[in-house]
Amino acid sequence: MSNNAIAVEIVEVSKRYGYLQALKSVSLEIKGEEFLAFSGPNGAGKTTLLKIIATHISPSSGTVKIFGDDAFENGGEIRRRIGLVTHESFLYDELSVRENLLFYAKLFSVKEEGFLDTIDFLGMNRWYNVQVKQLSHGLRKRADIVRALIHNPDLVLLDEPFAGLDTKTCDLLVNYFKSQKGKTLLISSHSLEWTKKICDKRISLDRGEIVGEISF
Amino acid sequence: MKNIGAFQRAALRIAEKDLRTEFRRSYEVLSILTFSVGSILICSFAWSSGSVGSEPEVAAAALWIILFFASILAFTTSFTREADRGTLGGLKTLPCSPLAILAGKIIYGTVLLFFVECVLIPFSIIFLNLELGGRFPALLLVCLLGAVGLSFAGSFVSGLVMFSEGKTLLLSFLLIPVCMPVLMPSVSATREIIAGSGISEVVPELRLLTAFLLMITAVMILTFEFVLEE
Repeated sequence: MSNNAIAVEIVEVSKRYGYLQALKSVSLEIKGEEFLAFSGPNGAGKTTLLKIIATHISPSSGTVKIFGDDAFENGGEIRRRIGLVTHESFLYDELSVRENLLFYAKLFSVKEEGFLDTIDFLGMNRWYNVQVKQLSHGLRKRADIVRALIHNPDLVLLDEPFAGLDTKTCDLLVNYFKSQKGKTLLISSHSLEWTKKICDKRISLDRGEIVGEISF
Repeated sequence: MKNIGAFQRAALRIAEKDLRTEFRRSYEVLSILTFSVGSILICSFAWSSGSVGSEPEVAAAALWIILFFASILAFTTSFTREADRGTLGGLKTLPCSPLAILAGKIIYGTVLLFFVECVLIPFSIIFLNLELGGRFPALLLVCLLGAVGLSFAGSFVSGLVMFSEGKTLLLSFLLIPVCMPVLMPSVSATREIIAGSGISEVVPELRLLTAFLLMITAVMILTFEFVLEE
């Protein structure tokens, strides 16, 4: 995708959970191949914004377009182009890393050969046939990242990818994300130390609103 | 046609994943089987002086009470576990409709309940002295349709309560009224078959079961997309 095209277009998006206003009329345009960080205090709306972009939740009002298509009218097709990693693992404890990845791969019509390179890059070969419940937090996160990227999405959404990880694993993930040229990357993180190594600019949120935009 | 194929594939993959996870976990399947077999044995002790098979009402009630409680145990783990563990988010990243996810859960529930029936029915025949003669296929059909109905109801209710506080309790409470249209014809048809009726004589009950399946399918198609929203 060219870096002039708009990858994500958010227009006046609000989200309310009962009495709580999580997002207030947020508007944002993210260009293709841009690496962008979201920062802000807890409860600022970062995770909510990422989940709306990922089509996990629908906004209370406003529109979201992903690569020019309405995100919620064509949810199934849009999700083929999105990879999401959150602080919760989407892997099943009782299954091995391989079984988990094959489950997702088959649903995205991807063959096993298509993601073995990523397994290798992230140093997961040794744990490929190990049950997920036996993995440490860092290894589980690496496996989850493979899962999110298994279908080679154009848009990658990462919610706190560095939380609870050691320096070596963070370095590995930074190098991996930096190698994902051609993709659009959105990272929500408290850790500016790591995100500035990957991202071009940072958008700050507070109380559901965008309060600033800074280039790294 | 292409969309239907993709829908079926997604549903089957999700069901396969759930069955693999459930049998890998094993202690929950074993709990369900232990409960089922133990209940049959207790019933047989209670009627040690005679054959439960000569009282078709009692035999039918025993069978479906056990199946209903087995389904509560089975559907507690359907959507509610996915929501508790966070893996529901992974299902929501999939390029398939929410209904394919629900269909996968229904297939999983049906296979699990049918597995329970494959143990429960032979035990019932032996320990409750049921004399079915050539009516065993008829009983099997009624039990299978009943399992499908319980699976539709259980999967849907599990999805409805998965984001609630006290979801296990709520699931049990809500399953009772929602499963009534399944249980009433199933119990009635089972009683008639044990008493000596053939499949042609329980057609009204089977029609009622089918009508319920169609009705709940329509409700699910119209509402399930909203159920998955947090």
